[in-house]
Amino acid sequence: MSALGGGFRSPSTPSRNRPHGNLAALRIAVIVLFGILTAQLFNMQILQGSDYARRSRENHLTRKEILPPRGLILDRNGTPLVRNVGIYTAVITPTFLPEEPEARYALYLRLETLLGVPALEIQSRVKEKEADGKGDIEFPIKEGLTKEQALALEEMTADTSGVALSIQPGREYIGGDAFSHILGYIGKQTPEEYRDLKGEGYSLNEPVGKGGVELTYQEILRGQKGATAAEQDAQGNLLKALKSRDAVPGDNVRLAIDVDLQNYIAEMLVDSLPNPVTMNQKNATQAAAVVMSAKTGEVLALVSVPTYDNNIFAQVAQRGAEYEELATNNATRPLTNKALSQALPGSTYKLITAAAALQEGNITPSTSRDIPSRILEIKGENGVIYPLVDWRAHGSGIDLTQAIAWSSNIYMFMAVCGIPNGSLQPHKAIGKDVDSSASIFAYYQRAFGMGQPTGIDIPGEDIGRVPDPAWKARNYAGPEYTDNDRDWFYADTCFTAIGQQDVLATPLQIARMTAAIATGKLFTPHVAKDILDADGKVVRTIKPDWKSVPVDEANLAAVRRGMHESVLAGAGLRAQVPGMDIAGKTGTAEFGTQRADLTYDQHAWFTGYYPYNDPEYVVTVYFDYGVGGDKAAPAAANIFSWMNQNLK
Amino acid sequence: MAATFGPGRQRGVFRGWDRFDYVLVLSAVGLVVFGLLLIYSGTYRTYEGPPASFANPVTKQAIFAIFGIIVMLAVSKIDYHYLTHYSPVLYGISLLSLVAILLMGHSAYGSTRWFNLGPIQIQPSEFAKLATILLLAKFFSAHGGDAKDLRTLIFSLGIVAPCFALVFIQPDLGTSIVFVSVWLGVVLVAGVSRRHLFILAAVGLAVLPFAWTFFVADYQIERISVLVDPEEDPLDAGYNVIQSQIAVGSGQLTGKGLTNGEQTQLGYLKVATKDFIFSLQAEELGFAGSMVMFSLFIVLLMRGIRAAQIAGDISGQLVAVGIVILILMQAFINIAVNLSLFPVTGIPLPLVSQGGSSLVSIFVSLGLLQSIIMRHRAYRQT
Repeated sequence: MSALGGGFRSPSTPSRNRPHGNLAALRIAVIVLFGILTAQLFNMQILQGSDYARRSRENHLTRKEILPPRGLILDRNGTPLVRNVGIYTAVITPTFLPEEPEARYALYLRLETLLGVPALEIQSRVKEKEADGKGDIEFPIKEGLTKEQALALEEMTADTSGVALSIQPGREYIGGDAFSHILGYIGKQTPEEYRDLKGEGYSLNEPVGKGGVELTYQEILRGQKGATAAEQDAQGNLLKALKSRDAVPGDNVRLAIDVDLQNYIAEMLVDSLPNPVTMNQKNATQAAAVVMSAKTGEVLALVSVPTYDNNIFAQVAQRGAEYEELATNNATRPLTNKALSQALPGSTYKLITAAAALQEGNITPSTSRDIPSRILEIKGENGVIYPLVDWRAHGSGIDLTQAIAWSSNIYMFMAVCGIPNGSLQPHKAIGKDVDSSASIFAYYQRAFGMGQPTGIDIPGEDIGRVPDPAWKARNYAGPEYTDNDRDWFYADTCFTAIGQQDVLATPLQIARMTAAIATGKLFTPHVAKDILDADGKVVRTIKPDWKSVPVDEANLAAVRRGMHESVLAGAGLRAQVPGMDIAGKTGTAEFGTQRADLTYDQHAWFTGYYPYNDPEYVVTVYFDYGVGGDKAAPAAANIFSWMNQNLK
Repeated sequence: MAATFGPGRQRGVFRGWDRFDYVLVLSAVGLVVFGLLLIYSGTYRTYEGPPASFANPVTKQAIFAIFGIIVMLAVSKIDYHYLTHYSPVLYGISLLSLVAILLMGHSAYGSTRWFNLGPIQIQPSEFAKLATILLLAKFFSAHGGDAKDLRTLIFSLGIVAPCFALVFIQPDLGTSIVFVSVWLGVVLVAGVSRRHLFILAAVGLAVLPFAWTFFVADYQIERISVLVDPEEDPLDAGYNVIQSQIAVGSGQLTGKGLTNGEQTQLGYLKVATKDFIFSLQAEELGFAGSMVMFSLFIVLLMRGIRAAQIAGDISGQLVAVGIVILILMQAFINIAVNLSLFPVTGIPLPLVSQGGSSLVSIFVSLGLLQSIIMRHRAYRQT
């Protein structure tokens, strides 16, 4: 017989019951249908076979990334300020959960016992994910597990599928609260961050720096991800590891910050906040201090009080109320770095004023005036006489040194704005008219780093403000202002010259400016000193970066003489430390509205450097309430003294 | 002689085992062995008991196969005319069990298809197919094998319709299509007029939208739409489609080797020894293995068509045609599902898929074919 059985044809009979069907069609149908199947099979297995083979490999080969240990952050002496810790999270992948509802619920109940998350809540969240078609993506059911919970969960996952323990790299900040503003913190990427970072090979679960040094040096601290490939079954169980590449730890960042100095200043500033009852001032609530090298621009201390514990960001789940309180405290804004926040700089600004006037030749160091009265009356363009006020009657024969040492306002008005009329002997302005005086002065302010970022390696600094005619016109452009509001007047320049009214600067900008007065170099400040690899070898040093200020050394020296005199026998006397040769300048910036006794609230400033002859360190101190000479100068003295005794 | 063959003129004449079609049986056994290998490959990782136990899927399938072969031999011995004679009874029992299953059957993957009898699950639709074929054959035989008359045609439709409807609402789209195909094949061979067929087709097309709206379950629509775009819902209804595609495609020319297919062995392929056993086969034995399997099916079907060709009378021919179409359409739909040419529907691959009801019922139908062959008209003439 033929296998296909086609050949047999029997003789037919005339019977009515004779089969008469046409079976050829059926044979054709068999061949056609199997032909269709063969064609599709050929298409899938032969033509697209290698593509499907690749998909098969992708299907069962799972690549798991190993996140590298993040680089550490050290102080200038190598003391670690951070520690890497694991953050334990219980996660669920709905697809891998048992199929039967009873088994699932039993699992939820076990999780409830272990983690304290209600089984019903887990159930509804799983259902939600499945309804969204995200059943194959793991999601967290509880973050921040204790070590005991993590261990118990790890044990439990051995005999269950769908539940896993996820360990995320986390940070513990061990340097103390004083470092919170400098270090920042790390956290999960936001969707926006991930969109930008994806291109750089980041995976979504990689934590990234969220502020401070953690953010600026993210790429250095990050390290390189490792990976393992393993075979995985349809339930997500890993069967065998195939190959792996180790992760490379991130490099360490060594800061220029001195941990002891930083902590000392933070404590000292907190202790100094209350004002003596005799002072006509509110108690200070906020303070900042900057200690900067006058030779390199590196920052040895950058303090802002009040501060907070930045470990809170890793524990927002547990410490939510605490965080809420910090974030909504508008009185002292503890999350804000005051050392990088702008405020009226007051008389510290006179250092720029003096340098500008000397350089423009409008005064010489020996230019002197008798200043017999607190009031200088100037007749304005409109014929009205305006009183310009000094803080005291300085007396006769006030030269530049005395004017800086005793912080004379009227001398500084003369130096920049000139004295066009009035009770005092007239003096020319640095420009040919009011506007050009303001512009020339603005040029010097900017040359000393005002109104622009300092470039410090901590994100989020204020840029300050240099008021000039263009700024004023812009600022009062709105229809609610008149042309009179927009005009730049003689007095505007005068107020700027003494750091009042519209000018704004951060403590760091003032420190940087002070270093420029001391050395002629406007440094780019930086808190990082160098980059070390995991073995502690220096792989990169952050080099000093500066530009020269456009003021002759002789003129700077004249300003420095005034600062020296200030601490020796002037308004900055209380910054004096026996055995140290310090130069400095106080500042008392009036702000807010005039009080009933005609006084104002005041910010207290002191900025100075030592040694006077060979400037090494700049110290700038700021309090939100206080008088410069009485409040900031003694605090600066404490810092100078501590540095003199302890700094290696 | 005439006395001896008297009844045989109307019934068939048994001419002895020398006319037994061994090619037909060998191709069937070949497919069963194919199936046993694949079932072994698909279950050895999860089955941990002793190999000789009834709980071992391979052993169980082998026992069913042996039982099926015995039944086949027994059925060969019986004159198929007895079966066509009692087909109304068989048909009635089948209908009753299909109704019963709707009321109390066991549900798997969203449909109700079988009874649980201890360790054995009985799927009545498997036997209902045969009963329907027998009744159709009897009906046309009584009407001179002629479907030219529109009334006869519609009556024959009435025989298939209840089973079709009961299977359809189980719901089992694939088996419903098998019923329609069997009916269509039988009436074509019975000489239906083309005009009538066109009329019925037109009516069918007109009714289809209503049937779609009122009778096609949502899950069927989902399975059909998933076939169009399996990636749309990769982890739910589309899951099996994608996984079977990957299994089949990645098998390439020679396959990954028995027990070496990752898609099967790592559990990505669901019901790998039942409805998706062809994907397992294609992954592990490749295009080459599939061609061997196709050849076995083609030999089997061609031998079945030969049985129809040499059948002694109309009822024999129509029973053989019905059985050929039954096996052909089940094999085609099952493999087409595995190759993503057809929406996912629960149809086993005849003789290969794990499952006793299907296996035994196919052997019963092969027994019927043998019964027809051994009583073919060449012998009746002598």
